[in-house]
Amino acid sequence: MKPFGYEPIIQKGDLSKSGRKKVQKAGNWKSVLTRIWRLIDQQRGLLIVVMALVLTSSILALLGPLMIGNIIDHYIIPKNAQGLGTQIGGLLAIYAGFSIATYLQNYWMVGIAQQTVYRMRTQLFGHLQKLPIRFFDKRQHGELMSRLTNDIENVSQTLNSSLIQVFSSVLTLVGTVSIMLYLSPLLTLLTMIIVPLMFFAMRWITRRTSILFKEQQQAIGALNGMIEETISGQRVVKAFSQEQKVMEEFAEKSDRLKLAGFWAQTYSGFIPKVMNTLNNMSFAIVAGVGGLLAVTGTSGVTVGTIVIFSEYARQFTRPLNDLANQFNTVLSAIAGAERVFAIMDEPVEKDEAAANEILLNGDVEFKDVTFGYDDEVIVENISFHVSPGETAAFVGATGAGKTTIMQLLSRFYEADSGQILLDGLPIDRLPRKTVRSQMAFVLQDPFLFEATVRENIRYGQLNATDEEVEEAARQANAHTFINKLSNGYDTVLTAGGEEISQGQKQLLSIARALVADPALLLLDEATSSIDTVTELAIQEALERLMEGRTSFVIAHRLNTIRQADKIYVMAEGKIIESGSQKELLERQGVFYGMLQNAD
Amino acid sequence: MKTVFRYAIPYKWPMLIAILLMLLELSVELIQPLLIGKIIDDGIMKEDLGTVAVWGATMLGMAFVALITGVINSYFASHAAQSFGYDLRQALFKRVQTLSLSAFLRFPTSSLITRLTSDVTMAQNALFMGLRIMARAPLMVLGSVIMAFVVNPKLAVFLLAGAPFLAVFLVVMARKGVQLFGIVQRGLDGVNRLVQENLQAVRLIKAYLRGTFETSRFSKAAEALKKDSVHAMRLMELILPVLLFIMNASFMAVLWFGASEVRNSDMPVGDVVAIVNYAMRMTSAFSMFSFLIVIFSRAKASSERMEEVLSAEDELESLEAADNTYHGAVDIRFDDVSFRYPGTKEKVLKHLSFEVKRGEKLVIMGATGSGKSTLLQLIPQMFHATEGNVLLDGRRAEDWPLDTLRGMIGYVPQQSMLFTGSIYDNISWGKQGASLDEIKQAAVKAQIDHSIQRFTEGYETRVGQKGVNLSGGQKQRLSIARALIRKPSVLILDDSTSALDVKTEGALWKALEEEDTTMLIVTQKIQTAQIADSILLLSDGVIVGRGTHDELMATSSFYREIAESQQTEGVMR
Repeated sequence: MKPFGYEPIIQKGDLSKSGRKKVQKAGNWKSVLTRIWRLIDQQRGLLIVVMALVLTSSILALLGPLMIGNIIDHYIIPKNAQGLGTQIGGLLAIYAGFSIATYLQNYWMVGIAQQTVYRMRTQLFGHLQKLPIRFFDKRQHGELMSRLTNDIENVSQTLNSSLIQVFSSVLTLVGTVSIMLYLSPLLTLLTMIIVPLMFFAMRWITRRTSILFKEQQQAIGALNGMIEETISGQRVVKAFSQEQKVMEEFAEKSDRLKLAGFWAQTYSGFIPKVMNTLNNMSFAIVAGVGGLLAVTGTSGVTVGTIVIFSEYARQFTRPLNDLANQFNTVLSAIAGAERVFAIMDEPVEKDEAAANEILLNGDVEFKDVTFGYDDEVIVENISFHVSPGETAAFVGATGAGKTTIMQLLSRFYEADSGQILLDGLPIDRLPRKTVRSQMAFVLQDPFLFEATVRENIRYGQLNATDEEVEEAARQANAHTFINKLSNGYDTVLTAGGEEISQGQKQLLSIARALVADPALLLLDEATSSIDTVTELAIQEALERLMEGRTSFVIAHRLNTIRQADKIYVMAEGKIIESGSQKELLERQGVFYGMLQNAD
Repeated sequence: MKTVFRYAIPYKWPMLIAILLMLLELSVELIQPLLIGKIIDDGIMKEDLGTVAVWGATMLGMAFVALITGVINSYFASHAAQSFGYDLRQALFKRVQTLSLSAFLRFPTSSLITRLTSDVTMAQNALFMGLRIMARAPLMVLGSVIMAFVVNPKLAVFLLAGAPFLAVFLVVMARKGVQLFGIVQRGLDGVNRLVQENLQAVRLIKAYLRGTFETSRFSKAAEALKKDSVHAMRLMELILPVLLFIMNASFMAVLWFGASEVRNSDMPVGDVVAIVNYAMRMTSAFSMFSFLIVIFSRAKASSERMEEVLSAEDELESLEAADNTYHGAVDIRFDDVSFRYPGTKEKVLKHLSFEVKRGEKLVIMGATGSGKSTLLQLIPQMFHATEGNVLLDGRRAEDWPLDTLRGMIGYVPQQSMLFTGSIYDNISWGKQGASLDEIKQAAVKAQIDHSIQRFTEGYETRVGQKGVNLSGGQKQRLSIARALIRKPSVLILDDSTSALDVKTEGALWKALEEEDTTMLIVTQKIQTAQIADSILLLSDGVIVGRGTHDELMATSSFYREIAESQQTEGVMR
């Protein structure tokens, strides 16, 4: 059946599969819930207060009707005005107490819930910071962003109300069942007939919704991924007039979300309806069978009992109803939380050694290093040695593996075989922190944060003074253009980034490295978008920076590397030639050929 | 809110059916107490099992009717809500696609993402809830009030005593809620922005060991979001207790005056009991009210955010797919063109006039930040010239149909923006439905075919977001292939060969010689300049020289300075 043309998502197989995997799946729910609970439980004190307030308000809620009955029976019917004022005053106090208790429990619960959500969010973010680069390479940014927003918001909405609802429902349930048992165990048993029915109905629905909620969160993640990527590349979309194409792609992803949403919402919508029907059934049973019992006069059931009992039976099903609804909401939160925890379970970059303050001299050696990515060998049998204070330049065709060497040196990736030695120590035995804290990078794609120019430069060294920041900017030849910006160093750079050009971004990212003042300097095409006249002007600053530090330089402009002590020529992942500039020129090999070509 | 909920109109029939079903269900529910009364009064009290059976069966039957209508309502309501959400998303995304770049840049990416997902969900939920329960609570209250008046108007008046106050209170709360939930959604934008930045800058952050710093920056944003959410939600939590208290107080008034009426006049006790019952029913409906107000104010806040996008006043761009039919080089002329970025004061380009004859290669050189990229962006109408005209084949760029104009331009941006998908997909961006042969041809010309062949999966190799698994030069060449495949009349290369080595670049220029296209090339390399028919020198947005390499070497000190900066101690000569 395809209502309104919606393809069914759940196949019979899915359910039987999930049926087979039920044990494992139930375990999964349990672990997700336990993890959420652990986050909530960090505020146990407040939680206990909230629960106490729930208890109070539940009792007050029961007390109200009792007192009204009392007033009617003892004051209104006997036309007795004596003490009526006190009674009504007392009742008013009860209601005031009820309102206050209700408000306070929700007031604090909102705090607990949002604190939990906050923890979850910051923990997830903190975890992302610890994940290896490899993890990010294959993921769409928007998909990950969705986990920190859409998925966590799902949890947030559930936490706000569900905990209180569940607790008060359970309380009411216990209270009502006790009274019912007191009134008539037999009729109570009859009322309970609907419980198994309810169980099966709920199971039928939630087996579907739990799959559907998951699908819905995945779909929204995929959509988020697509939106983020498209909007980030909007210029290219426009330049190539691909609006239609991306809209079609969007429609497809959006349709998947609509489909999942339709089924999830439809099935969830069944719950209150089914519950309502079951309530009526239970009443009919109590009335019918109870009536029969009363008429036959056995088992002590009287008409009065049935009347009172039927009222309680209704009260019994109301909390059950609420619980059923909450259960479903909780499932949707689980679908979100599961995606959050999935990321938190990703193994972090591990450091064998604890961070310690080794000051590196900057002696770097690669011994027979090979590294590949997805069966694609990128660099092969790389060996070289750079002594402290030397400048090594890597040249060669694009895709030859030059950037990869830098990335291995900074431990963004781990070598598949061979050894990288820093000051004679294997790099994988040094904590990343020790390694990176003594390196400064200028990466191929300069990135600027949505922050002021000053903050962007200071990123290289967070304690840098304003003077140091400006000095670095001056050296990087950025001072002049910064002063021309609308607010100088306090100009906030925006993601759209119309205010500064690509070359200026590179200047800022050089200033950032200058502020860092490291032992090792890695420059990957640091000046590729800068005009050569400006480059010449900052060359001096760079040279001064490289003095006494081990530096790695990748450049296509050969004059950028003129001060290099060693030049490594790379081709197809291998070093094919190396030596000083003089040696290489004398050899008249590949490098020599490159220079000839360059003319 | 109107603009947004307009998108629900096409689903008026499913919505109407859902509402009717809801009303049917509601009436069944309202009849049930009567049936229960009958069973008790006529059946059990009179020990008439037959009556119990008849009414019991009727009740069960009606319960099933309610079940079926409820289930069907669920289908219709979901259908309407999801379709509404879908159409709304479509409309928003379409609007984002049609906005001119300057209007588009007013919205941060992160905020657009929230508006397209979270905000849509808010509006969608409101519609769904509306179709399922919205009418229920007011009807329940209205029904109870009417019944109370039927029973005893004198006492029933007290039930309404709090009504004016309640109405004012609810309106104030809803207004405040809209405002506060708007702030919450903006907080979500902030969280989105930080995450996006962190994902884009993951290498930089790791390189500088700024994980902790970023986490604390994020904590601040998350903390702000938490505070705003708590603030908004706590205020909303005030609704129910206040509502209940006012209701209960009027209820006490009923009891008090009811008691005195019973004593002093001959008002029947039954009337008081009945009105007490109706009052109790009203209070149970009130809990739904507070829920509805939250849903409503969130939806309204989100709607306002979506409307900002939907009504972003600007000339919209056409959505036609690129018209690739126009081939052959064109003539390009800048006629006294000046340009200022929207919202800024200073002109980036000042009174530029120059011409590039069809089939010519123009190289543009100049200092960092001199306006080279800006100049190029005026040709495909990314921005309009503030003053003066850009003419292609003598026709103003604005007068060309946008799809034709952009269709004939091969644009290679400075940052080679690639998309998740295969290499094949990425190149075919330039020309939809291109055959593998065409793609290969373009790749060969862009000097990337050889590298692609070396990948185990060749043209089917997956490219990560923004091309993370490719080298800088590979990305640049892919983005050149993407431009070449459309056989452009104008080829714009914005410093797109910076990561190419000399040999590869030489081969590229050679391959491009056969193309029937007018080329505008921004470069830093004097060597590249030498292949040009003409060179344009730009400084601070002003033309400071024009000529061939030899001419400029002779006449322009500016050019000589660039040339000298690229000679190193005789090594290059």
